[in-house]
Amino acid sequence: MRRLMRSSLLVIVALGTLIAPIAAAHAQDKTVEIPLTAANQAFDPAELKVKAGQAFVLVVTNNDPKKAVEVENKDLRIEKVVPAGKTVKIRVRALKPGTYIFVDDFNPSAKVKIVAE
Amino acid sequence: MGATFVVVLREGFEAALLLGIVYAYLAQIGHAESRRYVTLGGGLAVLASIVMGIAVSALSGPLADIGPDVIALVVIFAAVALLTWHGWWMGRHAREMRGDLQRRIDAAHASQQLWMVGLIAFTGVFREGAETVLFLWGLMTQLEDVSGWAALAGGAAGLVGAAVLGWLVFQGGRRLSVQRFFAVTSLLILFVAAGLFSAGIGRLQSLGLLPGGEPLWDTSWLLDDHGSIGGFLAGLVGYRARPSALEVAGYILYLAGATALVMPSLFGRSAPRNGNNVVEPATPSRV
Repeated sequence: MRRLMRSSLLVIVALGTLIAPIAAAHAQDKTVEIPLTAANQAFDPAELKVKAGQAFVLVVTNNDPKKAVEVENKDLRIEKVVPAGKTVKIRVRALKPGTYIFVDDFNPSAKVKIVAE
Repeated sequence: MGATFVVVLREGFEAALLLGIVYAYLAQIGHAESRRYVTLGGGLAVLASIVMGIAVSALSGPLADIGPDVIALVVIFAAVALLTWHGWWMGRHAREMRGDLQRRIDAAHASQQLWMVGLIAFTGVFREGAETVLFLWGLMTQLEDVSGWAALAGGAAGLVGAAVLGWLVFQGGRRLSVQRFFAVTSLLILFVAAGLFSAGIGRLQSLGLLPGGEPLWDTSWLLDDHGSIGGFLAGLVGYRARPSALEVAGYILYLAGATALVMPSLFGRSAPRNGNNVVEPATPSRV
């Protein structure tokens, strides 16, 4: 029993150290929020400019009444479903200058080009 | 259809692999009746995945924004910790079995650790579960098109495929001798855990909580980790076609550390005490 208590205490401490920085990062989110809309199997705008070397948050609103979209960029390890009519925030790490293509995994013809410079 | 089949198969494979190993493990140590812990853990994880899928779709606000990321990270590192612990414990157990075949596995000792296999089942299934639920749910919203149905069928077939693979692992694992099973799975579990650890680092990087993230090399021309073979290797040993420097470093460091922790108990200092070199397969003892 004492061992169980000790290990659960350990788990709680471990969780705390894991969650704290994430929560802190979100709380002081001065990160730029960049809106993006999805509807009719396309993203609007189709091209975005962001500052290189600075993390940002993609605020994706899915205006389709029925269909979900999945915003995906494999290199950035981003795969996030945005249900119909919902808004989801996606954190994107600081990017090196370059062009990054995000697609809707459910409708790969829908793309958004993000240019970091 | 092919694409969603691969996506779901890839996400389900790791869970199926862990479930197969854990079920076979219980059969091997003669605790087949404790399968309910694993089934319960896996079942609760499916339930939790669905609940989280509903929550993410229904809720909004700051909690819904950070919740999934936090939970995903907690689950992934919890799984790493559990698997490491389990590997270490299996190593000790293997030595016990080898050292004195007459002695039965200490029932109390064993049952004390059984909640752990339930937890492994839970984290293994829940790790990809929530995302798979959302993915399949998203697919279902595409059903107006003919291609939507095909995609959903592919996803369902992927789930079935993963389950079949897990069952094969279970059947194969059950047939191995105890020693071989423990040695093989201890190694396998270390590689799976190393892959998970490095994936956790990748997640932290993608959230911007760890620096870097640029790929160190690119072998996607050779083997894409989103294809079927690359996907298997991703679940099995954590293969990445374009890993970041930190992911690679984390993988190597984890593997080195965990090997140092687990291997001595598995192979080292375990010369049979009675000088009898013949290692017989231990009969699973029911206690």
